[in-house]
Amino acid sequence: MSLFDALLGRHKVKGPAPDRLFALSTAYVDLEAGHGVKTRGSAGIVFQALATADFQQIVSETQELLQGTGQETGTQVETRDDEYGYRWVVLRDPDIEDLVVAVNTVGDGLAVGGYADRILAAVFAFEDSQGQPMYLIYNYKRGKWYPFVPASGEKQRSNERELQLKAQIGAGLPMEPELERWFPLWGAPI
Amino acid sequence: MARPTSFGRDSGLQARMLLTMFLLGLVYVAFIGVLFAAGAGAITIVFFAGAMFLVQLFAADKLALRAMGAKEVSPAEAPELHALIERLCVQADLPKPRIAVVDTPMPNAFAMGRSQKKAVVCATTGIMQLLSPAELEGVMAHELTHVINRDVVIMTVASFFASIASMITQFGFFFGGGSSDDDDGPSWLAVVLISLLVYVISFMLMQALSRYREFAADRGAAVITGRPSALASALLKISGVNERIPTQDLRAAGEMQAFFITPVGHRISGLFATHPPIEKRIAALERLESQLQGTALASAA
Repeated sequence: MSLFDALLGRHKVKGPAPDRLFALSTAYVDLEAGHGVKTRGSAGIVFQALATADFQQIVSETQELLQGTGQETGTQVETRDDEYGYRWVVLRDPDIEDLVVAVNTVGDGLAVGGYADRILAAVFAFEDSQGQPMYLIYNYKRGKWYPFVPASGEKQRSNERELQLKAQIGAGLPMEPELERWFPLWGAPI
Repeated sequence: MARPTSFGRDSGLQARMLLTMFLLGLVYVAFIGVLFAAGAGAITIVFFAGAMFLVQLFAADKLALRAMGAKEVSPAEAPELHALIERLCVQADLPKPRIAVVDTPMPNAFAMGRSQKKAVVCATTGIMQLLSPAELEGVMAHELTHVINRDVVIMTVASFFASIASMITQFGFFFGGGSSDDDDGPSWLAVVLISLLVYVISFMLMQALSRYREFAADRGAAVITGRPSALASALLKISGVNERIPTQDLRAAGEMQAFFITPVGHRISGLFATHPPIEKRIAALERLESQLQGTALASAA
Protein backbone atom coordinates (compact mmCIF):
# COMPACT_ATOMS: atom_id res chain seq x y z
CA MET A 1 0.00 0.00 0.00
CA SER A 2 1.50 3.27 -1.09
CA LEU A 3 2.02 6.31 1.10
CA PHE A 4 -0.50 8.22 -1.01
CA ASP A 5 -3.16 5.57 -0.45
CA ALA A 6 -2.51 5.73 3.28
CA LEU A 7 -2.73 9.53 3.27
CA LEU A 8 -6.08 9.37 1.53
CA GLY A 9 -7.33 6.50 3.64
CA ARG A 10 -7.95 4.58 0.47
CA HIS A 11 -7.95 0.88 1.01
CA LYS A 12 -8.83 -1.93 -1.33
CA VAL A 13 -8.93 -5.59 -0.47
CA LYS A 14 -6.02 -7.34 -2.06
CA GLY A 15 -6.76 -9.94 -4.68
CA PRO A 16 -4.94 -13.25 -4.80
CA ALA A 17 -1.20 -13.41 -5.40
CA PRO A 18 0.14 -15.41 -8.37
CA ASP A 19 -0.98 -18.96 -7.82
CA ARG A 20 1.47 -21.25 -6.00
CA LEU A 21 -1.12 -23.80 -4.98
CA PHE A 22 0.13 -26.54 -7.26
CA ALA A 23 3.60 -26.46 -5.69
CA LEU A 24 2.11 -28.73 -3.03
CA SER A 25 1.81 -31.75 -5.28
CA THR A 26 5.57 -31.94 -5.87
CA ALA A 27 6.51 -30.92 -2.32
CA TYR A 28 4.29 -33.69 -0.97
CA VAL A 29 6.30 -36.37 -2.74
CA ASP A 30 9.40 -35.38 -0.72
CA LEU A 31 7.44 -34.97 2.51
CA GLU A 32 5.96 -38.44 2.25
CA ALA A 33 9.08 -40.24 1.12
CA GLY A 34 11.62 -38.39 3.29
CA HIS A 35 9.75 -37.48 6.46
CA GLY A 36 6.82 -39.86 6.79
CA VAL A 37 4.22 -37.11 6.49
CA LYS A 38 1.03 -38.50 4.98
CA THR A 39 -2.13 -36.82 3.73
CA ARG A 40 -5.27 -37.33 5.78
CA GLY A 41 -7.25 -37.24 2.56
CA SER A 42 -8.98 -33.96 3.26
CA ALA A 43 -8.59 -30.33 2.38
CA GLY A 44 -10.68 -27.20 2.56
CA ILE A 45 -10.87 -23.76 1.08
CA VAL A 46 -12.23 -20.95 3.24
CA PHE A 47 -13.79 -17.71 2.07
CA GLN A 48 -16.14 -14.95 3.22
CA ALA A 49 -19.69 -15.80 2.26
CA LEU A 50 -21.20 -12.60 0.87
CA ALA A 51 -24.93 -12.20 1.27
CA THR A 52 -25.57 -11.39 -2.38
CA ALA A 53 -27.60 -13.39 -4.87
CA ASP A 54 -24.86 -13.95 -7.44
CA PHE A 55 -22.34 -15.02 -4.82
CA GLN A 56 -24.61 -17.79 -3.54
CA GLN A 57 -25.19 -18.85 -7.13
CA ILE A 58 -21.46 -19.00 -7.95
CA VAL A 59 -20.79 -21.13 -4.88
CA SER A 60 -23.54 -23.61 -5.64
CA GLU A 61 -22.56 -23.82 -9.32
CA THR A 62 -18.95 -24.53 -8.34
CA GLN A 63 -20.11 -27.19 -5.96
CA GLU A 64 -22.22 -28.85 -8.66
CA LEU A 65 -19.26 -28.76 -11.02
CA LEU A 66 -17.11 -30.48 -8.40
CA GLN A 67 -19.75 -33.11 -7.74
CA GLY A 68 -19.78 -33.79 -11.47
CA THR A 69 -16.02 -34.24 -11.77
CA GLY A 70 -16.00 -36.01 -8.41
CA GLN A 71 -17.76 -38.97 -9.99
CA GLU A 72 -14.59 -39.61 -12.02
CA THR A 73 -11.94 -38.73 -9.45
CA GLY A 74 -13.83 -39.91 -6.36
CA THR A 75 -13.52 -36.52 -4.65
CA GLN A 76 -16.31 -35.84 -2.15
CA VAL A 77 -17.55 -32.29 -1.65
CA GLU A 78 -19.44 -30.59 1.15
CA THR A 79 -20.04 -27.00 2.27
CA ARG A 80 -19.83 -25.93 5.89
CA ASP A 81 -20.13 -22.62 7.71
CA ASP A 82 -17.78 -22.21 10.66
CA GLU A 83 -18.43 -20.45 13.96
CA TYR A 84 -16.83 -17.22 12.68
CA GLY A 85 -19.23 -16.88 9.75
CA TYR A 86 -16.81 -18.05 7.06
CA ARG A 87 -17.74 -20.67 4.51
CA TRP A 88 -15.70 -23.79 3.82
CA VAL A 89 -15.80 -26.07 0.84
CA VAL A 90 -14.48 -29.31 2.29
CA LEU A 91 -13.01 -31.89 -0.06
CA ARG A 92 -12.17 -35.51 0.65
CA ASP A 93 -9.96 -37.64 -1.54
CA PRO A 94 -7.05 -39.95 -0.67
CA ASP A 95 -5.06 -38.57 -3.62
CA ILE A 96 -3.35 -35.24 -2.87
CA GLU A 97 -3.24 -34.37 -6.57
CA ASP A 98 -7.03 -34.57 -6.82
CA LEU A 99 -7.40 -32.43 -3.67
CA VAL A 100 -5.19 -29.69 -5.10
CA VAL A 101 -7.12 -29.73 -8.37
CA ALA A 102 -10.46 -29.58 -6.56
CA VAL A 103 -9.34 -26.69 -4.32
CA ASN A 104 -8.15 -24.89 -7.42
CA THR A 105 -11.54 -25.43 -9.07
CA VAL A 106 -13.28 -23.67 -6.18
CA GLY A 107 -10.76 -20.82 -6.27
CA ASP A 108 -11.21 -20.45 -10.02
CA GLY A 109 -14.99 -20.51 -9.72
CA LEU A 110 -14.94 -17.61 -7.26
CA ALA A 111 -12.33 -15.73 -9.29
CA VAL A 112 -14.33 -16.01 -12.50
CA GLY A 113 -17.33 -14.62 -10.63
CA GLY A 114 -15.20 -11.63 -9.57
CA TYR A 115 -14.90 -12.67 -5.95
CA ALA A 116 -11.24 -13.72 -5.83
CA ASP A 117 -10.62 -11.10 -3.12
CA ARG A 118 -12.96 -12.95 -0.72
CA ILE A 119 -10.82 -16.12 -0.55
CA LEU A 120 -8.65 -16.39 2.54
CA ALA A 121 -6.86 -19.69 2.52
CA ALA A 122 -6.74 -23.32 1.53
CA VAL A 123 -5.94 -25.89 4.21
CA PHE A 124 -4.58 -29.40 3.66
CA ALA A 125 -4.62 -31.94 6.48
CA PHE A 126 -1.64 -34.26 7.09
CA GLU A 127 -0.35 -36.50 9.83
CA ASP A 128 3.14 -37.54 10.84
CA SER A 129 4.30 -41.10 11.46
CA GLN A 130 2.85 -40.98 15.01
CA GLY A 131 -0.55 -39.99 13.65
CA GLN A 132 -0.23 -36.42 15.00
CA PRO A 133 -2.35 -34.01 12.90
CA MET A 134 -0.65 -31.17 11.06
CA TYR A 135 -1.84 -28.70 8.48
CA LEU A 136 -0.33 -26.83 5.59
CA ILE A 137 -2.13 -23.56 4.93
CA TYR A 138 -1.98 -21.65 1.66
CA ASN A 139 -2.60 -17.91 2.03
CA TYR A 140 -4.22 -16.74 -1.22
CA LYS A 141 -3.47 -13.06 -0.60
CA ARG A 142 0.25 -13.68 -0.39
CA GLY A 143 0.72 -16.83 -2.45
CA LYS A 144 2.64 -18.32 0.47
CA TRP A 145 2.44 -21.51 2.51
CA TYR A 146 2.88 -22.04 6.23
CA PRO A 147 2.50 -24.95 8.64
CA PHE A 148 0.00 -25.12 11.48
CA VAL A 149 0.37 -27.88 14.08
CA PRO A 150 -2.11 -27.91 16.98
CA ALA A 151 -0.73 -29.15 20.30
CA SER A 152 -2.61 -30.66 23.21
CA GLY A 153 -4.43 -28.13 25.36
CA GLU A 154 -6.89 -25.36 24.62
CA LYS A 155 -5.89 -23.61 21.36
CA GLN A 156 -2.20 -24.40 21.78
CA ARG A 157 0.07 -24.86 18.82
CA SER A 158 3.41 -26.61 18.58
CA ASN A 159 5.74 -23.98 17.18
CA GLU A 160 8.62 -26.45 17.41
CA ARG A 161 6.90 -28.94 15.14
CA GLU A 162 5.86 -26.16 12.77
CA LEU A 163 9.42 -24.93 12.39
CA GLN A 164 10.64 -28.51 11.88
CA LEU A 165 8.04 -28.98 9.19
CA LYS A 166 9.15 -25.76 7.53
CA ALA A 167 12.74 -27.05 7.48
CA GLN A 168 11.63 -30.41 6.11
CA ILE A 169 9.73 -28.80 3.26
CA GLY A 170 12.75 -26.64 2.53
CA ALA A 171 12.65 -25.02 -0.88
CA GLY A 172 9.81 -27.25 -2.07
CA LEU A 173 7.08 -24.73 -1.21
CA PRO A 174 7.13 -20.93 -1.20
CA MET A 175 6.97 -20.42 2.58
CA GLU A 176 5.73 -17.34 4.43
CA PRO A 177 8.88 -15.73 5.86
CA GLU A 178 7.10 -13.57 8.48
CA LEU A 179 6.15 -15.68 11.48
CA GLU A 180 3.56 -13.13 12.59
CA ARG A 181 1.61 -14.09 9.49
CA TRP A 182 1.40 -17.78 10.38
CA PHE A 183 -2.26 -17.40 11.27
CA PRO A 184 -3.78 -20.50 12.83
CA LEU A 185 -7.18 -21.68 11.64
CA TRP A 186 -8.87 -23.19 14.64
CA GLY A 187 -11.96 -25.24 14.17
CA ALA A 188 -11.31 -25.98 10.50
CA PRO A 189 -14.00 -28.50 9.54
CA ILE A 190 -11.58 -30.86 7.79
CA MET B 1 -17.19 -11.27 -16.04
CA ALA B 2 -14.51 -10.43 -13.52
CA ARG B 3 -15.08 -7.23 -11.63
CA PRO B 4 -12.16 -5.40 -10.00
CA THR B 5 -13.98 -4.81 -6.69
CA SER B 6 -17.48 -4.98 -5.30
CA PHE B 7 -17.29 -1.39 -4.13
CA GLY B 8 -16.75 1.78 -6.12
CA ARG B 9 -14.39 4.53 -5.12
CA ASP B 10 -15.35 7.45 -2.98
CA SER B 11 -13.57 10.26 -4.79
CA GLY B 12 -15.59 12.93 -2.97
CA LEU B 13 -14.31 11.80 0.41
CA GLN B 14 -10.75 11.70 -0.87
CA ALA B 15 -11.03 15.18 -2.36
CA ARG B 16 -12.34 16.59 0.92
CA MET B 17 -9.57 14.86 2.83
CA LEU B 18 -6.92 16.20 0.49
CA LEU B 19 -8.34 19.73 0.71
CA THR B 20 -8.32 19.58 4.51
CA MET B 21 -4.73 18.40 4.60
CA PHE B 22 -3.77 21.13 2.15
CA LEU B 23 -5.40 23.82 4.28
CA LEU B 24 -3.77 22.45 7.39
CA GLY B 25 -0.38 22.49 5.67
CA LEU B 26 -1.01 26.06 4.52
CA VAL B 27 -1.81 27.24 8.05
CA TYR B 28 1.32 25.53 9.35
CA VAL B 29 3.62 26.96 6.69
CA ALA B 30 2.36 30.45 7.46
CA PHE B 31 2.87 29.76 11.15
CA ILE B 32 6.47 28.62 10.68
CA GLY B 33 7.08 31.84 8.74
CA VAL B 34 5.85 33.92 11.65
CA LEU B 35 7.93 31.93 14.14
CA PHE B 36 11.09 32.45 12.13
CA ALA B 37 10.35 36.13 11.82
CA ALA B 38 9.93 36.33 15.59
CA GLY B 39 13.46 35.07 16.14
CA ALA B 40 15.35 32.70 18.38
CA GLY B 41 12.89 32.32 21.25
CA ALA B 42 10.32 30.76 18.99
CA ILE B 43 12.87 28.43 17.40
CA THR B 44 13.65 27.04 20.85
CA ILE B 45 9.99 26.31 21.31
CA VAL B 46 9.96 24.44 18.01
CA PHE B 47 12.86 22.30 19.23
CA PHE B 48 11.08 21.48 22.47
CA ALA B 49 7.92 20.70 20.60
CA GLY B 50 9.90 18.51 18.20
CA ALA B 51 11.22 16.48 21.11
CA MET B 52 7.71 16.18 22.49
CA PHE B 53 6.49 15.09 19.10
CA LEU B 54 8.99 12.23 19.00
CA VAL B 55 8.03 11.16 22.49
CA GLN B 56 4.40 11.26 21.47
CA LEU B 57 5.05 9.21 18.36
CA PHE B 58 7.14 6.55 20.10
CA ALA B 59 5.68 6.33 23.59
CA ALA B 60 2.12 7.59 23.30
CA ASP B 61 0.63 4.22 22.50
CA LYS B 62 2.08 2.62 25.62
CA LEU B 63 1.00 5.53 27.79
CA ALA B 64 -2.46 5.55 26.26
CA LEU B 65 -2.92 1.83 26.75
CA ARG B 66 -1.88 2.17 30.37
CA ALA B 67 -4.17 5.15 30.90
CA MET B 68 -7.07 3.14 29.51
CA GLY B 69 -6.27 0.17 31.72
CA ALA B 70 -5.83 -2.02 28.66
CA LYS B 71 -4.28 -5.42 29.21
CA GLU B 72 -2.69 -7.39 26.42
CA VAL B 73 -4.34 -10.80 26.06
CA SER B 74 -2.91 -14.07 24.76
CA PRO B 75 -4.78 -16.39 22.37
CA ALA B 76 -5.57 -18.67 25.33
CA GLU B 77 -7.13 -15.79 27.30
CA ALA B 78 -9.31 -14.44 24.48
CA PRO B 79 -9.52 -17.18 21.85
CA GLU B 80 -12.59 -15.81 20.06
CA LEU B 81 -11.22 -12.29 19.70
CA HIS B 82 -7.86 -13.61 18.50
CA ALA B 83 -9.43 -15.94 15.94
CA LEU B 84 -11.71 -13.19 14.66
CA ILE B 85 -8.84 -10.72 14.22
CA GLU B 86 -6.57 -13.35 12.68
CA ARG B 87 -9.06 -14.02 9.92
CA LEU B 88 -9.49 -10.32 9.27
CA CYS B 89 -5.69 -9.99 9.09
CA VAL B 90 -5.51 -12.69 6.42
CA GLN B 91 -8.21 -10.90 4.45
CA ALA B 92 -6.64 -7.45 4.89
CA ASP B 93 -3.09 -8.79 4.35
CA LEU B 94 -1.81 -7.42 7.66
CA PRO B 95 0.67 -8.91 10.11
CA LYS B 96 -1.06 -9.84 13.35
CA PRO B 97 -1.31 -6.89 15.73
CA ARG B 98 -1.12 -7.20 19.50
CA ILE B 99 -4.54 -7.53 21.04
CA ALA B 100 -5.63 -5.90 24.28
CA VAL B 101 -8.80 -5.82 26.33
CA VAL B 102 -10.13 -3.15 28.70
CA ASP B 103 -12.38 -4.37 31.46
CA THR B 104 -15.23 -1.85 31.37
CA PRO B 105 -18.95 -2.08 30.54
CA MET B 106 -18.58 0.90 28.17
CA PRO B 107 -18.69 -0.59 24.66
CA ASN B 108 -15.76 0.71 22.67
CA ALA B 109 -12.71 -0.24 20.64
CA PHE B 110 -9.59 1.55 19.46
CA ALA B 111 -6.32 1.01 17.64
CA MET B 112 -2.91 2.37 18.57
CA GLY B 113 0.62 2.20 17.24
CA ARG B 114 2.62 4.09 14.66
CA SER B 115 3.17 1.22 12.23
CA GLN B 116 1.57 -2.05 11.19
CA LYS B 117 4.18 -4.02 13.12
CA LYS B 118 3.70 -1.97 16.30
CA ALA B 119 -0.07 -1.90 16.14
CA VAL B 120 -2.29 -2.74 19.09
CA VAL B 121 -6.02 -3.17 18.71
CA CYS B 122 -8.11 -2.99 21.81
CA ALA B 123 -11.70 -3.89 22.62
CA THR B 124 -13.61 -3.41 25.85
CA THR B 125 -15.35 -6.28 27.56
CA GLY B 126 -18.53 -4.23 27.12
CA ILE B 127 -18.34 -4.27 23.33
CA MET B 128 -17.62 -7.99 23.24
CA GLN B 129 -20.76 -8.68 25.27
CA LEU B 130 -22.94 -6.20 23.42
CA LEU B 131 -22.25 -7.15 19.80
CA SER B 132 -22.87 -10.26 17.76
CA PRO B 133 -19.77 -11.86 16.19
CA ALA B 134 -20.47 -10.31 12.78
CA GLU B 135 -20.91 -6.85 14.30
CA LEU B 136 -17.76 -7.18 16.39
CA GLU B 137 -15.96 -8.25 13.25
CA GLY B 138 -17.09 -5.04 11.54
CA VAL B 139 -15.82 -2.94 14.45
CA MET B 140 -12.45 -4.70 14.56
CA ALA B 141 -12.13 -4.31 10.77
CA HIS B 142 -12.74 -0.58 11.28
CA GLU B 143 -9.89 -0.48 13.80
CA LEU B 144 -7.62 -2.53 11.53
CA THR B 145 -8.34 -0.03 8.74
CA HIS B 146 -7.07 2.72 11.05
CA VAL B 147 -3.86 0.66 11.31
CA ILE B 148 -3.67 0.16 7.53
CA ASN B 149 -4.30 3.87 6.91
CA ARG B 150 -1.67 4.85 9.53
CA ASP B 151 -4.13 7.15 11.20
CA VAL B 152 -2.14 7.40 14.42
CA VAL B 153 0.88 8.79 12.59
CA ILE B 154 -1.19 11.04 10.36
CA MET B 155 -3.12 12.56 13.27
CA THR B 156 0.07 12.96 15.34
CA VAL B 157 1.78 14.79 12.50
CA ALA B 158 -1.34 16.85 11.89
CA SER B 159 -1.48 17.90 15.52
CA PHE B 160 2.25 18.75 15.76
CA PHE B 161 2.03 22.45 14.93
CA ALA B 162 -1.28 22.82 16.65
CA SER B 163 0.40 21.70 19.86
CA ILE B 164 3.25 24.19 19.34
CA ALA B 165 0.70 26.93 18.79
CA SER B 166 -1.13 25.91 21.91
CA MET B 167 2.14 25.92 23.90
CA ILE B 168 3.01 29.42 22.74
CA THR B 169 -0.48 30.62 23.53
CA GLN B 170 -0.33 29.26 27.06
CA PHE B 171 3.25 30.43 27.56
CA GLY B 172 2.32 33.90 26.39
CA PHE B 173 -0.69 34.14 28.65
CA PHE B 174 1.26 32.97 31.68
CA PHE B 175 4.19 35.32 31.33
CA GLY B 176 2.38 38.24 29.79
CA GLY B 177 4.86 38.46 26.94
CA GLY B 178 7.88 39.47 29.09
CA SER B 179 9.69 42.73 28.44
CA SER B 180 12.32 41.77 25.86
CA ASP B 181 11.03 43.86 23.01
CA ASP B 182 13.69 44.13 20.36
CA ASP B 183 12.28 46.10 17.53
CA ASP B 184 12.85 43.79 14.58
CA GLY B 185 10.21 41.25 13.75
CA PRO B 186 6.71 41.01 15.14
CA SER B 187 6.27 41.58 18.86
CA TRP B 188 5.73 38.74 21.29
CA LEU B 189 2.10 39.71 21.70
CA ALA B 190 1.57 39.39 17.96
CA VAL B 191 3.13 35.91 17.99
CA VAL B 192 0.83 34.89 20.83
CA LEU B 193 -2.22 36.18 18.99
CA ILE B 194 -1.21 34.48 15.77
CA SER B 195 -0.55 31.27 17.67
CA LEU B 196 -4.00 31.46 19.15
CA LEU B 197 -5.47 31.91 15.69
CA VAL B 198 -3.37 29.04 14.28
CA TYR B 199 -4.46 26.86 17.16
CA VAL B 200 -8.16 27.52 16.63
CA ILE B 201 -8.06 27.06 12.87
CA SER B 202 -5.83 24.00 12.90
CA PHE B 203 -7.95 22.47 15.64
CA MET B 204 -11.05 22.70 13.49
CA LEU B 205 -9.21 21.38 10.44
CA MET B 206 -7.84 18.49 12.47
CA GLN B 207 -11.29 17.57 13.70
CA ALA B 208 -12.51 17.64 10.11
CA LEU B 209 -9.62 15.42 9.06
CA SER B 210 -10.42 13.06 11.91
CA ARG B 211 -14.02 12.80 10.72
CA TYR B 212 -12.92 12.00 7.18
CA ARG B 213 -10.56 9.32 8.51
CA GLU B 214 -13.52 7.79 10.35
CA PHE B 215 -15.54 7.63 7.14
CA ALA B 216 -12.55 6.06 5.42
CA ALA B 217 -12.19 3.50 8.20
CA ASP B 218 -15.90 2.62 8.04
CA ARG B 219 -15.56 2.15 4.33
CA GLY B 220 -12.40 0.07 4.71
CA ALA B 221 -14.15 -2.14 7.26
CA ALA B 222 -17.05 -2.70 4.86
CA VAL B 223 -14.63 -3.60 2.07
CA ILE B 224 -12.64 -6.01 4.26
CA THR B 225 -15.62 -7.85 5.73
CA GLY B 226 -17.99 -7.53 2.76
CA ARG B 227 -20.72 -6.79 5.30
CA PRO B 228 -21.42 -3.05 5.53
CA SER B 229 -24.76 -3.61 7.28
CA ALA B 230 -23.15 -5.53 10.13
CA LEU B 231 -20.99 -2.50 10.97
CA ALA B 232 -24.00 -0.19 10.66
CA SER B 233 -25.91 -2.33 13.11
CA ALA B 234 -22.91 -2.35 15.46
CA LEU B 235 -22.73 1.46 15.36
CA LEU B 236 -26.43 1.70 16.19
CA LYS B 237 -26.04 -0.61 19.16
CA ILE B 238 -22.89 1.09 20.46
CA SER B 239 -24.23 4.62 20.12
CA GLY B 240 -27.45 3.67 21.84
CA VAL B 241 -25.53 2.40 24.84
CA ASN B 242 -22.84 5.08 24.90
CA GLU B 243 -25.39 7.85 25.15
CA ARG B 244 -27.15 6.23 28.05
CA ILE B 245 -24.13 5.16 30.10
CA PRO B 246 -23.02 7.74 32.66
CA THR B 247 -19.76 9.47 31.88
CA GLN B 248 -17.67 8.44 34.88
CA ASP B 249 -14.84 7.24 32.65
CA LEU B 250 -14.73 10.46 30.71
CA ARG B 251 -11.63 11.93 32.37
CA ALA B 252 -9.62 8.92 31.35
CA ALA B 253 -11.24 8.96 27.95
CA GLY B 254 -10.79 12.65 27.05
CA GLU B 255 -7.55 12.50 25.09
CA MET B 256 -8.39 9.18 23.53
CA GLN B 257 -11.58 10.22 21.77
CA ALA B 258 -10.07 10.44 18.31
CA PHE B 259 -9.21 6.75 18.24
CA PHE B 260 -12.48 5.36 19.52
CA ILE B 261 -14.98 3.63 17.32
CA THR B 262 -17.60 6.12 18.55
CA PRO B 263 -17.07 9.00 20.98
CA VAL B 264 -18.28 8.57 24.53
CA GLY B 265 -20.31 10.87 26.73
CA HIS B 266 -21.69 14.20 25.62
CA ARG B 267 -22.28 14.72 21.95
CA ILE B 268 -20.35 17.52 20.34
CA SER B 269 -21.53 18.04 16.83
CA GLY B 270 -20.51 20.00 13.79
CA LEU B 271 -17.08 21.59 13.46
CA PHE B 272 -15.69 20.40 16.78
CA ALA B 273 -16.51 16.71 16.65
CA THR B 274 -13.83 14.05 16.11
CA HIS B 275 -16.42 11.64 14.73
CA PRO B 276 -19.12 12.20 12.15
CA PRO B 277 -22.67 11.81 13.40
CA ILE B 278 -23.83 8.22 13.56
CA GLU B 279 -26.65 8.90 11.09
CA LYS B 280 -24.18 10.01 8.43
CA ARG B 281 -21.92 7.03 9.01
CA ILE B 282 -24.87 4.68 8.73
CA ALA B 283 -26.07 6.40 5.57
CA ALA B 284 -22.59 5.92 4.05
CA LEU B 285 -22.61 2.24 5.00
CA GLU B 286 -26.10 1.84 3.53
CA ARG B 287 -24.78 3.22 0.23
CA LEU B 288 -21.98 0.65 0.32
CA GLU B 289 -24.43 -2.16 0.98
CA SER B 290 -26.58 -1.14 -1.98
CA GLN B 291 -23.45 -0.91 -4.16
CA LEU B 292 -22.62 -4.44 -3.11
CA GLN B 293 -26.11 -5.73 -3.79
CA GLY B 294 -26.54 -3.56 -6.87
CA THR B 295 -23.38 -4.66 -8.68
CA ALA B 296 -24.22 -8.19 -7.65
CA LEU B 297 -27.56 -7.99 -9.42
CA ALA B 298 -26.02 -6.38 -12.49
CA SER B 299 -23.42 -9.10 -13.00
CA ALA B 300 -25.88 -11.90 -12.33
CA ALA B 301 -28.18 -10.67 -15.07
